[in-house]
Amino acid sequence: MRHPARWAALGVGVVVAVLAIVLATQVGTNPQAETERSQLVGKRAPTFSVHAFDGQTLSSQSLAGKPVLVNFWNSWCIPCQQELPSLLQFEQRHAGDTSFVLLGVVRDDTTDAARQYAAAEGMTWELAADPGSSLALAFGTRGQPETYAISPSGVIAGAQIGPTSVGNLETLLAAARTVR
Amino acid sequence: MTRRDALAWGGVAALVVAALVWAAWPSSGPPTAAQRAHELATELRCPDCQALSVADSPSSSARAILVDLQRRAAAGQSDAAIRRVYVDRYGESILLKPSSSGFGILVWALPVVAVALGLAGLGFAFARWRRQPRLAATPADETLVERVRTG
Repeated sequence: MRHPARWAALGVGVVVAVLAIVLATQVGTNPQAETERSQLVGKRAPTFSVHAFDGQTLSSQSLAGKPVLVNFWNSWCIPCQQELPSLLQFEQRHAGDTSFVLLGVVRDDTTDAARQYAAAEGMTWELAADPGSSLALAFGTRGQPETYAISPSGVIAGAQIGPTSVGNLETLLAAARTVR
Repeated sequence: MTRRDALAWGGVAALVVAALVWAAWPSSGPPTAAQRAHELATELRCPDCQALSVADSPSSSARAILVDLQRRAAAGQSDAAIRRVYVDRYGESILLKPSSSGFGILVWALPVVAVALGLAGLGFAFARWRRQPRLAATPADETLVERVRTG
């Protein structure tokens, strides 16, 4: 090697250049983007079994064959309260429609508080507690509200992280009906 | 290199090796399931917190994850398999430490490469300085020094 110092300088230059390329390709990438979408879309939904407020047991097995919209919510979170009118309107639009299930799962709240809130607000769809947050964990939730659409074959067809709207719920339901 | 220098360098090398061995030596037997779960909990980000690990967060989801980690560790799942479950569910952002594979390896590799190149550069520079001949005093230098000494 005739000029070792030059080779060392060249090596340092290459490292700096690689670092610059890495930084350049990452500029504009939102580090929070991953937290704003679900990693589970397109994958099989977790199997579950929850006790509904009305006493019956709802499980992925008993709901198989129907599209299911799973909405994680609680009584104290402001965004949940903000999306409630949309859920009520959506439920009203589909009153009597038994071709799908809307399931509200309580996340990070006491069952008593959630029950009282649901009764006061007239939430008539299926509601269930999630003691130990096992279902919230299985769906990879980062907070509430979050809504997941499960196809009749048990695949997660779509997800909404944050408050949903009537239009968004219709889109999720359509996706759940479409995905095989 | 004199014998004294060799002894000094040998002593430094022995100290470094002893420190590395002491740091790497396992303190006891294999970790228990609870210890593994706690270690994994320090590596995972609490999903509904800003910058807290599962081990440090008091949130209900962090507690649920800790219980799940303990259950999986007790069931004999490997640390890598448990990490994979959480990355599949939440994405790479659930890991507080960057992944050591794929694109994330650059974060670990680049500093090591930079340090290696720096050390190589220093080695070359020292070798070059050693190769340069020592300066010999010329008669003019000797005369100058003698003049200064005699005042």
